[in-house]
Amino acid sequence: MSSNPMHQFEVYRIGPEINLGMVNLSFTNASLFMAISAFALIFLLFLGTNKKLLIPSKMQLITEMSYSFVAKMINDTAGAAAKPFFPFIFTLFMFVLFCNMVGMLPYSFTVTSHIIVTFVLAAVVFIGVTILGFVKHGIKYLELFVPKGVPAVLLPLIIIIEIISYLSRPVSLAVRLFANMMAGHTMLKVFGGFVISLGLLGGWLPLGFSVALTGLEILVAFLQAYVFAILTCIYLNDALNLHH
Amino acid sequence: MKNLKEISTRLEIAKKKIKKKKLNKNANNSSSLGKALKISTELVAAVVVGTTLGFIFDNWFGTKPILIICFFFIGVAAGIINVIKSAKRMQGN
Repeated sequence: MSSNPMHQFEVYRIGPEINLGMVNLSFTNASLFMAISAFALIFLLFLGTNKKLLIPSKMQLITEMSYSFVAKMINDTAGAAAKPFFPFIFTLFMFVLFCNMVGMLPYSFTVTSHIIVTFVLAAVVFIGVTILGFVKHGIKYLELFVPKGVPAVLLPLIIIIEIISYLSRPVSLAVRLFANMMAGHTMLKVFGGFVISLGLLGGWLPLGFSVALTGLEILVAFLQAYVFAILTCIYLNDALNLHH
Repeated sequence: MKNLKEISTRLEIAKKKIKKKKLNKNANNSSSLGKALKISTELVAAVVVGTTLGFIFDNWFGTKPILIICFFFIGVAAGIINVIKSAKRMQGN
């Protein structure tokens, strides 16, 4: 086994190489673990909603709790107007959560520790919210970049600053999830390497750290999925209810 | 009769415990770690976006060092505005 802490993030091809024009569409370990997360999610939700009991079973309880958790989050941050977007945000939250949690299993691959994955998710949110804003408010959506009560002299500068602030949304959304997951998994691997290299005499301290860090990582995995979803709700709120 | 009284006192104790838990939750919010991470990346992201935009515009207009410097500082300003905005949003909650 490699002791390189970054080795776990390597993407390699599984199966035959598929090229569509210039695009390499081969099935990689990243695609495999994305598929595993998605199927685990579908399986759990299917199992939970299979038998609709009056007194819920454990599986039904989990699905109902996740449903009401996301519904409450949308209601608190974006209001009733965002209700039609519940399926999107629920899917996003559960997918990120499952990718993070599947990554916590030993020998698995953390999909969300690659910035291209998180950036695509963030870009989908960003582009979708921007289109929604223009559809809902037309050209008036650009008022988002013009704060009220600013003197006319400062306006050009403020507009540029606001546009950059708006453009930084997907970057911050993507970098946050990616950096947290990558840093956490690298740290776990580094402490794991210490256990091996210090051996039976000194290895107990890093082993304890490893156990504690695993707990912390599970917390972070949940928290990052939550932050991703709640920020999506906040951006959705900005697009739906234009007030500054 | 005795049984009922016992139940009512136990109910009261349980209610008090729940109240205490709720108060604790308000004081020490569990998602404060998430908030801290959120604010820090918001500041960095705006600076990165600003600088990248400056770099791209420099290549377009051939004004090599000027625009990247300007947009770096604009990015810093945007980052600070981002932080202020999200801090205000947190206070609102």
